[in-house]
Amino acid sequence: MSEFRWVGKAFPRIDGRDKATGVAKYVTDRVFPNMLWGAVLRSRYPHALIKGIYTSRAEASQGVVAVLTHKDVPGLNAFGIINQDQPVLCKDKVRYLGDSVALVLAESKECAYNALDLIEVDYEPLPVVSDMEDALQTDVKVHEKGNIIEHVRITKGDVEKGFREADLIVEETYYTPRQMHTFLETEGGVATIDEDGNITVFAGSQYPNRDIIQIARSLNYPMEKIRVIAHYIGGGFGGKDEITAQILLALGTLKTGRPVKIVWNREESLIAGQKRLPMKITLKTGVTKDGKLLANKARIIADNGPYTCLGSAIMKLAVEHASGPYYVPHTDLEGFSVYTNNCIGSAFRGFGATQATFAIECQLDLISKKLGIDPLELRLKNALRNHQSANLGHIPSPSVGIAETLETLKNHDLWKNKGYYLKTDRPYLKRGIGLACSHQGCGLGSFFPDYGAATIILLPGGKFTLKIGCPDIGQGNGTAFVMIASEVLCCNPEDIELEIGDTRSTPDSGSTSASRTTYTGGRAIIEAGNKMKANLFAEASRMLGVPPDSLELRPHCVAVKDSDLKVTYAEIAERLSKENRFLECYSRFDWPTADLEFKEALGLPHFIYSYISEMALVEVNVLTGEVSVLKAVVSPDAGRIINRQGLEGQAEGGTVMGMGYALMEEIRQVDGQYMNKDLSTYIIPTAQDAPEIETVPVEKYEVSGPFGAKGIGEAVCNPITPAVINAIKNALGISITKIPATPEDIYFMAKKEFDLLRS
Amino acid sequence: MEKVTVNFTLNGDHESITVNPNLTLLEVIRDVFGLTGTKEGCGHGECGACTVLLNGKAVNSCLVLISQVEGKEVTTIEGLSRDGSLDPLQASFIETGAIQCGYCTPGMILSAKSLLLKNGNPSDEEIKTAISGNLCRCTGYAKIIKAIKLAARNGKTKDAGGES
Ligand code: FES
Ligand code: FES
Repeated sequence: MSEFRWVGKAFPRIDGRDKATGVAKYVTDRVFPNMLWGAVLRSRYPHALIKGIYTSRAEASQGVVAVLTHKDVPGLNAFGIINQDQPVLCKDKVRYLGDSVALVLAESKECAYNALDLIEVDYEPLPVVSDMEDALQTDVKVHEKGNIIEHVRITKGDVEKGFREADLIVEETYYTPRQMHTFLETEGGVATIDEDGNITVFAGSQYPNRDIIQIARSLNYPMEKIRVIAHYIGGGFGGKDEITAQILLALGTLKTGRPVKIVWNREESLIAGQKRLPMKITLKTGVTKDGKLLANKARIIADNGPYTCLGSAIMKLAVEHASGPYYVPHTDLEGFSVYTNNCIGSAFRGFGATQATFAIECQLDLISKKLGIDPLELRLKNALRNHQSANLGHIPSPSVGIAETLETLKNHDLWKNKGYYLKTDRPYLKRGIGLACSHQGCGLGSFFPDYGAATIILLPGGKFTLKIGCPDIGQGNGTAFVMIASEVLCCNPEDIELEIGDTRSTPDSGSTSASRTTYTGGRAIIEAGNKMKANLFAEASRMLGVPPDSLELRPHCVAVKDSDLKVTYAEIAERLSKENRFLECYSRFDWPTADLEFKEALGLPHFIYSYISEMALVEVNVLTGEVSVLKAVVSPDAGRIINRQGLEGQAEGGTVMGMGYALMEEIRQVDGQYMNKDLSTYIIPTAQDAPEIETVPVEKYEVSGPFGAKGIGEAVCNPITPAVINAIKNALGISITKIPATPEDIYFMAKKEFDLLRS
Repeated sequence: MEKVTVNFTLNGDHESITVNPNLTLLEVIRDVFGLTGTKEGCGHGECGACTVLLNGKAVNSCLVLISQVEGKEVTTIEGLSRDGSLDPLQASFIETGAIQCGYCTPGMILSAKSLLLKNGNPSDEEIKTAISGNLCRCTGYAKIIKAIKLAARNGKTKDAGGES
């Protein structure tokens, strides 16, 4: 029998019923009496000066209540988590097609959108910065201070020495696309204001407590009069970490005194929303003839678009992960994040590690091919072990499970019986198997304060309320939290009422991001739970007349060890209530950090990592270039698993998302214009594209984690992309250095190898 | 704009509404009736989040003009569970973990319902085809397919039980 009642089980989501019956109210489902609709006027040019904004015709239009411009922003007309460089409403310059120029507030959605056409803006177009290398050279500046947002370079050992000692050096450049989160609920929400001036914003958000700071700064309004509620949310994946519509929602309700709803339509979400940053990654890697990695040099450029958002931090994570989860004695890793007039780049599941993983894992397959060493053995030979120094010269927490995840794949039938799976009965169908590894730093990294907090309250009847800030954006941290609390308090998940993602009622628990939520929230809950336990023991000891150390928890009660004597939680609650008392326990938990900090690259390195290996079986039709991913086997190491069903859900969802990144997903831009604007031209995988997925976890106990858990929400998105690409390369014997590898690309590459049409 | 009067059945109740003819069924369901279980993900027939049953067949309600439902039966996710008892699909989606953010879930369940109404024993391929117009960004579809198979099995056991 397992030592746990709940931890590690496959437990169905606590909000499943509300979601399956349509009862769950998402932030964009909310309506209020007398509510106005807001519509945002976007820029007409990717880069232009604004010479004048004329709103009178729009103001006179039917149903319009107000048209707001930069003049109406009471506080700082800029926001941004890292640099406040994005205007709430543009004043004298626009820098991409998604820029907000004016906000129309009207009696209906139709009236609001109709009035957008009546706003006249005089623009003076400027030359467009659309290429990231060009951004480093050109005189055209997206912002006054120049186009480089941040540049970092971190070295370990002596990379040139490593290259001198190497028997083989491979050098290659890799390109990754701008990927859209494509959460099904687009950005937006509703805001209200009451007679005392208290503003409440319901919005898709991954960190409501930080939103309050940004809203207050731009509205020049007291923080304590602003409340943000982020529940329920139809997906985030990083794209709701930075501000989207929150400030405009609050501004709209402040200016009109009425409830305001703004929901970006799908085209706006595509054009204005944040995306995964495209990167160009050049790697030079030196290796001995028996496959030992000696040196890795990386130069990374990230196209951040016009505003920083979280982009520079993402570039730094790409630097941190650029040598993969391997031991490499000599590294020289450099990154630039640059402004362009393309779409904004910001957080997206994987946060830079995804791009880096694609590059280094393709590089390893190249090495494997050149040296004639099995790709799995090559990785196993170099896999980072406990107490070895990682990429940046730091020693990660000793829960390094990469080798075990590789062993898992090695022992899997798909790998052992490759020959069988690779057979096809048609000459134009070619099969291949590819694999890749990845890791992902959990938490915000060194330097930044990273903490979680939770409150537990004993309720009449013996149930508990659990309050915690970081929202559940869909991935299921809410359910994991309840399981952890039930474990500590020895009760059933039904006995825990969860309150989540509300700045008024839940403690600040940091962001839902960075593979940090279950870990941080879990630790805070365990500590708050232990305080509650101690209190329950104290009360029970008083009620039973026995010393606290003779007590233990049994389901829903405190009992005397080796005895039937007990008092239930309900009885304790009743007693407290008679005495006019109650039990509320709060606890805060702060992350452990690495033994190293880089003043020149704040946030690096991380201390705890999740690890993962994945392999894919693909079938390529060389007549059409079409790729079917037939099967994926994923072995994640997320430490101790809290919810088996949640872990599998992450592994499966991440696999399909990463497969889309490998094969089909890209927002294509030319001179700052968008070549695709909807879900017919930006394609994500459907049920017909998704492979069969098998998840075989490795549980490398993380001593600091809740019951030994680490994070996993991001790593699951990383290895599948190079695994699929390596499988295609393996099937066709071609080289692919740019994703997505679309059917057109593959068709033309395959044509050279297999000209089946000629005969 | 001249308003139109439309008579139809919504989740078993007869309704008669007089509205602008340019409204879509999705807008009527959400804004007139306040049934927000039906979601909008694109408004252009590309995502399936707005799927409802029209005379038992799954349609994207964002593509249906309100006049087109005259005399027809509309079922939304709110109409699928009766008196608090879940449809086998709702139960299986919850049990198997086919729900994450849940924004695609109502539409996904109704597409599956439409399939199971005409084919109680679908193959994997038939399931994939039936839900190929419903995008899900969270789950990777594996558990959704599992849930639909489970519901098909449970539906059958239930029918068999009813006969005995
Ligand atoms: S909202 Fe109808 S298909 Fe997307
Ligand atoms: S569960 Fe989130 S889109 Fe399907």
